[in-house]
Amino acid sequence: MRFNLEGLTVYFPYEYIYPEQYRYMLELKRALDARGHCLLEMPTGTGKTITLLSLITSYQLAHKEVGKLIYCTRTVPEMEKVLAELAELIEYRAKYLGRGPGSNEILALGLSSRKNLCIHPRVAEEGSRESVDAGCRRLTASWVRERAAERVSRGTTEGGEEGGSSGGAVGEIELCDYFEGHERAGVEALLPPGVYTLSDLRDFGRKHGWCPYFLARHMMAFANVVVYNYQYMIDPKVSQMVSRELEKECVVVFDEAHNIDNVCIEALSVNLRKQTLEAAGRNLGKLSNSIRRAREADAARLQAEYNRLVAGLIAQGALRGGEDWLANPALPADVVQETVPGNIRRAEHFMGFLHRFLAFLRDKMASPVVTSQSPQVFLHELQERVQVDAKTLKFCYDRLSSLLKTLEITNTDEFTPIQLVADFATLVGTYAKGFAIIMEPYDERLPQVPDPVLQLSCLDASLAMKPVFSKFQSVVITSGTLSPIDLYPRILNFNPVAIQSFQMTLTRDCLCPVVVTRGADQMPMSTKFEMRGDPGVMRNYGRLLVDLSAVVPDGIVAFFVSYRYMDQIIAKWHDMGILQEIMQHKLIFIETQDVVETTLALDNFRRACDSGRGAVFLSVARGKVAEGIDFDRHYGRAVVMFGVPYQYTLSRILRARLEYLRETFQIKEADYLAFDAVRQAAQCVGRVIRSKADYGMMIFADKRYQRHDKRDKLPQWITRHLKEAHMNLSTDMMVHVAREFLRAMAQPYDRGAVGKSLLSEAALAALDAAGGLDGAGAAGA
Amino acid sequence: MSAVDRADDLELDGDDDDIDEHELRRQEEAYQRQYENEQTWDQLQEDEFGNLFVDKTAEQRARRKRLLSAAQSARIRKGMIRYLLLVVDMSRAASAQDLRPNRLACILGLCRSFIREFFDQNPLSQLGIAIMRNGLVEKLTDLSGSPEAQVAKLDAGKLGSPAGDASLQNALDLSVSLLRSLPPYGHRELLVVFSALATCDPGNVLDSAKACKANNIRVSVVGVAAEVYVCRRITEETGGTYGVALNETHLEQLLLAHSSPPPATSAQAKAELVRMGFPQRSTEEASSAVFVGLEARLLSGNYTCPRCKARVPELPCECHICGLTLISSPHLARSYHHLFPVPPYHEDSKERAEEAAGVLIRQPAMRDEVPTSTGSYCFGCLREVSQPGAAGQLHLTLRCGRCKQVFCFECDAYVHEQLHNCPGCEFGGT
Repeated sequence: MRFNLEGLTVYFPYEYIYPEQYRYMLELKRALDARGHCLLEMPTGTGKTITLLSLITSYQLAHKEVGKLIYCTRTVPEMEKVLAELAELIEYRAKYLGRGPGSNEILALGLSSRKNLCIHPRVAEEGSRESVDAGCRRLTASWVRERAAERVSRGTTEGGEEGGSSGGAVGEIELCDYFEGHERAGVEALLPPGVYTLSDLRDFGRKHGWCPYFLARHMMAFANVVVYNYQYMIDPKVSQMVSRELEKECVVVFDEAHNIDNVCIEALSVNLRKQTLEAAGRNLGKLSNSIRRAREADAARLQAEYNRLVAGLIAQGALRGGEDWLANPALPADVVQETVPGNIRRAEHFMGFLHRFLAFLRDKMASPVVTSQSPQVFLHELQERVQVDAKTLKFCYDRLSSLLKTLEITNTDEFTPIQLVADFATLVGTYAKGFAIIMEPYDERLPQVPDPVLQLSCLDASLAMKPVFSKFQSVVITSGTLSPIDLYPRILNFNPVAIQSFQMTLTRDCLCPVVVTRGADQMPMSTKFEMRGDPGVMRNYGRLLVDLSAVVPDGIVAFFVSYRYMDQIIAKWHDMGILQEIMQHKLIFIETQDVVETTLALDNFRRACDSGRGAVFLSVARGKVAEGIDFDRHYGRAVVMFGVPYQYTLSRILRARLEYLRETFQIKEADYLAFDAVRQAAQCVGRVIRSKADYGMMIFADKRYQRHDKRDKLPQWITRHLKEAHMNLSTDMMVHVAREFLRAMAQPYDRGAVGKSLLSEAALAALDAAGGLDGAGAAGA
Repeated sequence: MSAVDRADDLELDGDDDDIDEHELRRQEEAYQRQYENEQTWDQLQEDEFGNLFVDKTAEQRARRKRLLSAAQSARIRKGMIRYLLLVVDMSRAASAQDLRPNRLACILGLCRSFIREFFDQNPLSQLGIAIMRNGLVEKLTDLSGSPEAQVAKLDAGKLGSPAGDASLQNALDLSVSLLRSLPPYGHRELLVVFSALATCDPGNVLDSAKACKANNIRVSVVGVAAEVYVCRRITEETGGTYGVALNETHLEQLLLAHSSPPPATSAQAKAELVRMGFPQRSTEEASSAVFVGLEARLLSGNYTCPRCKARVPELPCECHICGLTLISSPHLARSYHHLFPVPPYHEDSKERAEEAAGVLIRQPAMRDEVPTSTGSYCFGCLREVSQPGAAGQLHLTLRCGRCKQVFCFECDAYVHEQLHNCPGCEFGGT
């Protein structure tokens, strides 16, 4: 339908709209009008994506000055889903706006790494992302192409054989046909308007003989909608290459952003293991060799690099080759625009410098005790021990990238370890605040196995978000679970113009959250540290699952607080015979840390649910399953959260972060921990409801959920359905509640409750005339 | 790193005792209010004279709604000759006690009344019974037309106790093997009363569902616990219905809903002539006793097949020698009403009463004989009915749209469910 929203014509591809979608659009539009950032929570299953796309594309249409829509997703499947919905929307819009040139057609495309886009027959076969990247560079780096071109020209002047520019291989120098095709087409290589998913891009590339990756990168400048991964926006290494050209007027959307702070932190953190350092040492050896060889063969090249560095050209991007590779890991604003210091200008000197730094790191890692330092202390120590100063450190990454390019190295994946070390060096040198350097000689869970890790951990999520907020006019952060919503502006340190949490209008009570505090024997249950090992608690948890599997049909999902606890409790359940009892009712599948195994388990879980056998999936909060897999419809009729999924509180990184949050943002440790635990729990239980026609039990099995500090942090759309009668149940009471709920939900229900939970075009027109949703509460009736 | 270390500065959960006692009590009470209160005396009301009564209008209204919807589907062509296999779940889940006294006893009782009702409504049809237990399906009775023999089999004492898993696939396979060879004019149906929440099958149950569909078997399921996806899917695929019972009364309604014939599918809708025999009953004198039927029992009263002269003990049935369908004419007549149901009565209102008074006055013959014009006596039972909208209305007051007579709720149910003729219309000749 097409309707008027405070003066903006909105194209929405469905006949009816939910009231919360309407409110969401209203809030979003006001934020866009105000040119500010906003934070919006709306439950899953209410069509958040289409609402966002619909409003923003309509807004673009009406306000030409608004730039692109940059839609950030977490995974490739999500990206495909967004593009599919967008395609539907555009198809619908074409009915009103017509097709062909001049009819405001839009170009939308998904952008992903080479691994997902490459169509070169050999390179695309490579396993990891790094190896595909390296394989691509081997064929497309500027010096490789120049050399090939030289050979061709030499070949033709000699009147020799036909140049192999079309064959891809010139002499023994191999090039990529698709890249060459794209290069030849130059600025002419354009995508016609439309919506392109990754596979569409690959198909298009194959058809025209153009490289889809470079085509997509090139077309970003012309696209109206770009869908890509969070990393492309947040990680400075990537975003400088990809997102630098974007204009200020863009609208940036982060979908499913409840974990955005963790993404930000990861983008600026570096972990170094013993193996990394060893490999980095080998890299240095290789580099020294190449330098020596280069010096013998072509001393002028190294001299030219030196001269460039003296002139300070590095920052101006005057360096040829490897255009999109090795961007600085620090944030754009913090990258120093100065010349590289003299002591590392010469390649040999730089090698020496890296050797010294590496030795220092190795020495640090040999320490048998856990240490935690601030960057200043670390730098001071570095200065004292090996005479390396912070300023030089800062340039480490740029200097390395310059060197690698000068040496014309293409197998970049081999040099990842030394890049990591340089990454570490640059970040330490650049940031004095908001970071911690933590050395752990062994994994705390396995103290007998030495496994030293040196971590440079970012503590401040707002660091990585700051450039995004300052660069773009409107940033929209949205998810199904952003509660408590006022905490996000604090940890991300920004001022939203709109903060709103929307509720789901339902025609029936299809959510049934309950808090189970004790077993049938009235003993409290909890995964509190003092209680979790208690056999009584484990048995009660087991009984809960047994009883539940007897009354809930089809699929049940159970989440535990950690892999370790899950292993422990499953072993205990096996001894107690609880697993066998569950098996009488349902099959059991378990998530493991192995992705392939888990995928297989999930697949069989679904089959068991489809064929009526019924199954239980045992999973872990914060795991892959909890974050990305939906258990909608009969795949999840009940979800159990065993315990409160706190982070591992003994982790040094977490400790450092908590301290930082307290000092910088005045957020209490316990508050943050509870917030983080409850959002994970909400994320887990939210897996079962994926649409309004769906229904499911949500069982919080821990007595601590009874407390206000936990309960109040749950999203409103859950707490609204948490009835007083369901806040303090024992297992047998819960079984009773479940029976009643499932019976009631099994009754046929009337989908066509138009008016209460659906608004038609006419109802919206009336609403608009009456002056908004609040002014006419009963407008839908 | 131990508990000691943990307890130091990160006191995660504070004190447990900060939960308000008062709040706990409130939560407890809320739970009891919702789930544990079965105070039947709450339903009692008192009228102005101090008499106690139970207001049943809501319940009656709900029942009428179902009648109405049944009447609306009357125009749809229906299967008059049905072959129905009733499968009762006797798996472990049937011993649960959420229905009283337990699921199995409750289900068996309701199945017995269902079978009687089924034959009452479909005298030309046949029914067989099987049970699911220990992952297997046991056939209790073959398809036959006699209610009492079937009912006698459904005895909790003889059947033993529920055990093991239920297998839907085995039930479907049995229905295919039993119903496949039946004549095409008959409607093949499988009705499963399903207590379990899972089916434990030897193979893929959906393959068996496909076989059912291929053989035109309509699978319906009545669940007692919760919606099971596979049941929903199979019933949808084969055109059956799926209902989940909320309580004992609802279960009864769901089961009895299957006693009236389902709409005919297009595959079966073509007209076809069916050969039937109308045998005569022999005398009841003890001296005339002969050996009767397949089991050759010595019986005095029996029927003789008009084609092959074999003797059968009861009607309706299929002749055990020549396979001719044997029925009596009342049976045929009783099936007839499905085709011409009595139009549903409407709930009476002031306007309707006034309009009806006008019509009725113009029929002087009627006015003298029955007290109609006031609308305060039921035309069926002559008992007083309350005025529409009156305070303390005990029952619904209904009026036939054709003869404009007033009926009480009980008479309405009797007319539509059993009599299948409106006394007012028959009497007035309109």
